[in-house]
Amino acid sequence: MSEQIEATALLDAVAAFLKSIEPELSGRNAFHAKVAGNALAIVRREIEARPRDVERDALARFLGHDAGLDALRAEMCGRLRAGQLTPETPGVLAALIDATLAKVAVDNPRYATYVRMQGPR
Amino acid sequence: MTDPALDAIAALLARAGHADAVVTGVAALSGGAASATYAVTVQRHGAPWPLILQRAAAGSVTPGSLPKADQAALQRLAGRNGIPVARVVAVLSPGDQLGEGFVMEAVAGEALAPKWLRGEGFAAARAAMTRQCAAVLAQLHAIPIGDVADLALPTGRTDESLARMTAHYRSFGVNSPVFDLAFAWLAERCGAAAPHAIVHGDFRSGNFIVDQNGLAAVLDWELAHLGEGAEDLGWLCVNAWRFGVWQKPVGGFGERDALYDGYAAAGGRVDRARAHVWEVWGTLRWGLSCLQLGNDHVSGRVRSVERAAIGRRVSEVELDLLHLIRYGDI
Repeated sequence: MSEQIEATALLDAVAAFLKSIEPELSGRNAFHAKVAGNALAIVRREIEARPRDVERDALARFLGHDAGLDALRAEMCGRLRAGQLTPETPGVLAALIDATLAKVAVDNPRYATYVRMQGPR
Repeated sequence: MTDPALDAIAALLARAGHADAVVTGVAALSGGAASATYAVTVQRHGAPWPLILQRAAAGSVTPGSLPKADQAALQRLAGRNGIPVARVVAVLSPGDQLGEGFVMEAVAGEALAPKWLRGEGFAAARAAMTRQCAAVLAQLHAIPIGDVADLALPTGRTDESLARMTAHYRSFGVNSPVFDLAFAWLAERCGAAAPHAIVHGDFRSGNFIVDQNGLAAVLDWELAHLGEGAEDLGWLCVNAWRFGVWQKPVGGFGERDALYDGYAAAGGRVDRARAHVWEVWGTLRWGLSCLQLGNDHVSGRVRSVERAAIGRRVSEVELDLLHLIRYGDI
């Protein structure tokens, strides 16, 4: 630990604060506080798992060259729009499944389709 | 818009032949993006007569969408064809000073899907729902489109609809390789069929009233249009409308085989590959709704932690699309 309060420590502090005021909230505010707590959990998982790096690696491997994630995504989309890539192109589904599993692991690791696709099919 | 005035509703009911109705209350129920819905408390002949007022949230519907008077007329037509719907009591006209909308009778039962999908008291209802939904869709899709020639139902060939949806996606300026993959997959398969049926357009577990016997009413006809009947079959199976009961592909309560068998038994023509195409289409359509809700926050149109968080559900939809395309179902 190089800093006393790392970003994850701040997130935990804010999450604990939200939880502590939950009993005082009702209706819409209580619901939004819950959503906010879930959003903090997403940020925490994103800091730890770095899904953008996983996605960049998957797309770079498939496309055969490295670049920033936004550029690689734009290239994938451009090629799909132009018909240079299709759903039948070998490797395209595997690369997108790797990238998307990393995203859902951060956004909602309890999502049923994510849980199913972790196991053998 | 301000809440509707009680005396304006009473005057409307009198104009519709219910001068003896006494309006004592009105309460906002839900605020969808397009429509506002109110519970109206009414007494008639000394007994409660619960009514629902639905009107365009912005005063009038957006250009190109179904006018409220036509939505009411379609709901009445569906009822005459044996489809369970709320009975329309009165249609608003400009002189009523209430905006664009209509009043219908409230239907008793449960509207919250998670309750009837999981509640023990609804086991018999769930067992009946698949056959009932199949029969309702077969009845709806069998209505000759000539019967709605006077209604301004949106229409278009399937390739035109896909082009509109693609333009909507591009308008967000987001690059989702999975969404582009799904658009490419759909473009290969959607064809250019001319519309041949009335499509409900939002036939899913969240838009039903369910009682102990099953389907009591089909709600929310505001997205009805002319198209291909299989669209309703596919949309009913989209994973988001299973409310977590993903093992039951039909709305969280039934099996696809039972849906297709019931649809065929009620006179519908089933094309399984076509229903699959429309399930992929529907999944992508829900994905664009997530993008829209996230965009509401990012653009500042509606700043909300809830909408920002829903924007992150895009990845769930991407994974569903990949599963559907890779394995042929979900």
